[in-house]
Order: sequence, then structure tokens, then C-alpha cells
Amino acid sequence: MSPAVVVLLVLSGLSEAAGRILPLVARRPGMPRTLVAALLLPAGLVEGVVFALWPLTAWALAELVLSSPSPGTGLVWTPSVVAPLVLAAVLAFPLLGPLLHLLLFVGVGTGLVGPLAAASGLHWWSAAGCVAVAGAGLALAVETVRHLVVKISATGAQEAIA
Amino acid sequence: MNDFLLWACVVGPALLAEALLARYEVLAYGAGWRAPATELPEGVPYARGAAPDSPPGAYLVYLDGIGKRRVRDSRDGGQLVEALIAGAPELRVLGQIQPYSPLADPLADRPVWAWLRRRIGLLLFLHNVMQTFVAADHRYRPLYNRAVGSQIATQLRLAGYHPDSGMPVVLLSYSGGAQVATGAVDELYTLLRCPLLLITLGGFHNGANDLTHAEHLHQLTSANDRIEQIATWIFPQRRRLFRRSGWNRAVRAGKITVHRLDPATHFGPQSYISPTAKLPDGRSHLDHTADTVIAIIRAHHSATVTQGDPLP
Repeated sequence: MSPAVVVLLVLSGLSEAAGRILPLVARRPGMPRTLVAALLLPAGLVEGVVFALWPLTAWALAELVLSSPSPGTGLVWTPSVVAPLVLAAVLAFPLLGPLLHLLLFVGVGTGLVGPLAAASGLHWWSAAGCVAVAGAGLALAVETVRHLVVKISATGAQEAIA
Repeated sequence: MNDFLLWACVVGPALLAEALLARYEVLAYGAGWRAPATELPEGVPYARGAAPDSPPGAYLVYLDGIGKRRVRDSRDGGQLVEALIAGAPELRVLGQIQPYSPLADPLADRPVWAWLRRRIGLLLFLHNVMQTFVAADHRYRPLYNRAVGSQIATQLRLAGYHPDSGMPVVLLSYSGGAQVATGAVDELYTLLRCPLLLITLGGFHNGANDLTHAEHLHQLTSANDRIEQIATWIFPQRRRLFRRSGWNRAVRAGKITVHRLDPATHFGPQSYISPTAKLPDGRSHLDHTADTVIAIIRAHHSATVTQGDPLP
């Protein structure tokens, strides 16, 4: 993975985290700026790691789909494909945010399909399926962890009050 | 520079930047980074119309459309408020509410926006449109509603309103002000426990806000009002399919009454508040609108007017 891709993944992770944390700040009055920053950094790094795992997971799925070992050496991010993810903060955009966020990820995912199909020998639609399932699976896993963290932190706060 | 280049290089990025920055104010309010403004500039009264020392017929709060950018009424030079005060001296009218600023900070008083207003005035409208979208977004709506609801309650108190007095409060909203007015209902009821009557004029709102604590909502509209029609088209909660939305529950409860102001348009020379466009009976659109609003308020709050009387 090139340094440019690493930097872009970190920025994308921070952007995604900002897009998720800003609405949270709106629902939790009195949140200090330092806490927001403290939440943003680790959350951004986690999101960045999840983004990094997307092509790897799609490649692993492609290998499961293929009966014989694939001829390629794997699927990796390139700066041009990963760059749009820096706009992931669009999730916090008023009203249209979730839709724009979805469109952004569909666009970036589409950018992964061609290289995956070429490297693995899969048909374009099969490769698209692998990318989509990998993306959805990772998103579901992250969302589950996010809900657990929110639930645990809310329970902890209630216990502290009691 | 052709139109495409203008949109691609100037308006597009400005729109994106504005949309991403639009939430800052509601976040700053929620996080407590800034306190909302309560004091008005020198010489601006907290209310006009009926005197504060004698009980008025009702308090009327006017929530302007997206042209609102200063404490004084700005969209129409304050003509609608003036017409209401002239036609109904029993009303105590507040026109200073900033529907598009959770921090009650008028755009025209902010240095950056004052500079922009002199160069790209369109951005001020864009900012207020974005605030309407922030107010409609389910993630920010509760906080936005609380911010503006408490702003209205504060201004009402400063204008002489006493909580629990039973004095009616009328929220008259134009265009995007309807999103804010419907959102402010719960907070206002909680803080003041007042009878609330809503009147929307070309109301642009998403229909998600709960209207349980509003006594009634009068929808002043027109077949030529494209903006209100867009709102009913883009917001699913305004459609019958979404039976549990605040709007549809209010419709089923019989709380919505529609009044046609045809042939008025949403804005422009034929708008609801045009002093020059005339009806066949010789009245201007502005007079017709003001007369309708006054008649609604009097019909709703006066025991001498029986229900079902035709409005002017």
C-alpha cells in the first residue's frame, strides 16, 4: 500500500467519523470540543482500517466464489479509486446526507469492480457482487459495534447517575 | 463565463460548502459553545401593536420566509406585519424571531455575511434554505426545534407574555418558516403552556413535526404556489401513505383547515403579500392575505364569531 493511499485512507476515515459524530453531537447537548476531538481520532482510524479491509474482503470473497485459485495477486486501493472517500463526511449533509453517502460508496465500489474482475477472472457482475457483499458485510459489522458502544456507554452513564 | 462554468466552478462548490457548514449553528447551540442572543438592537421593540399594559387579544409571532436576515422584517419590508397591526389592533405582534438561526443571530449582523450580502446576495437565501433542510433532517430536528422554540418563548416573555395565562399564541409562518413553526410547538407548549394556533402561508415543511399541542393549523395556499407543492412532493411524511407522520395524524384529528388564496403565487409580483396585484374585488393580495389571517384569528378566539362563517 503506497503512502498516498495510507494518507487518503486516514483522511477518509476521519471524514466518515466526522459525518457520523456531528449528528451525535447535535443529540447530546453540552459535549465539550475536546471530547468531540477525542472521539473523532480513534473513530477515524477505525473507519480508515475498515475502508482498507474492503478490497481485501472482496478479494477473499472472489477466491471463495472461484472453483480454482485466481490468477491475480490480489485487489488493492489505488489513490484515484480511494480519493472520493475523503468526501464521506457528506453523510452529515442536511436531509440528503444518507442518500449522497450511499451514492458515494456505490461509485467507489464500482471503481473496485473492474480491477477485481480483471485480477480474479470473474465476470463483471460476479465481481460487483463480491464488492457489494464485502462492503455491506463490513458496514454491518461496524454498525453492530457502533450500536454496542452506544448501548454500553448509555448504560454506563445511567449507572453513574443512579 | 457561461452558465455551466458558473455552476460548476462557483455556485456548485459554494452550495456544497454551505450545506456542509449549515449544521454548525445548531451544533454550537447543542454543545453549549455559544448562548443564543436575547437582546434586540437599540430602538427595536419586543412587540408592536396592542399595548403591553392592557391584555391583548392574542400574541402573534411572525416567522418569515427565507429572505429573513435581520431583526426587522425583511422579506417584504414588513408590509404584512404592518397590515396585520393596522387591521387588528388587538394583536401584539412579534416579528423579530430568526427562524433560520438557532442562536438567534441575524445574518445581516455577522461581518462575513454582511460582506457576502454586498457581493453575492444569493448566498444569504441559500444559507436560509439550508437551515430549513437542517430543521427538517431527523438527526438535527429535535435540537433545532428546541432552539427555535425556546427563542420564541424567550421573546414572548420579553414582550410581556405570562406562562399559564391562557393567552392565545398565534404562529404565522411564511414558506420555510412553517418548518420552524410546526417544530416549535412542543417546546412552546412545554415552556409557556399556551393555546397555540398555527397559520401557514405557502408553508414549506416536511410534515414530520408533532402537532398534538397545537389547537389548529390553518393552511393558506394557492393552486399557483409551486414551492408549497414541491414540499408536498419531496417530503414523504406529507403523503397519506405515511399515516403516522405528525402531519397526517393532525389531518385525521381534523386539525388542518385549508384556505385558498388563488390566484396568488409563492413569490414575485403576484405573491401572497404583493401590495400591487389586485383581486377582482379591488383588494390587493396583501390585503386579502392580512384579512384572511385576521379573520381566522378572530374566528378561532372570539366567542362572538360562530364556527363555519365564511372568511373574507
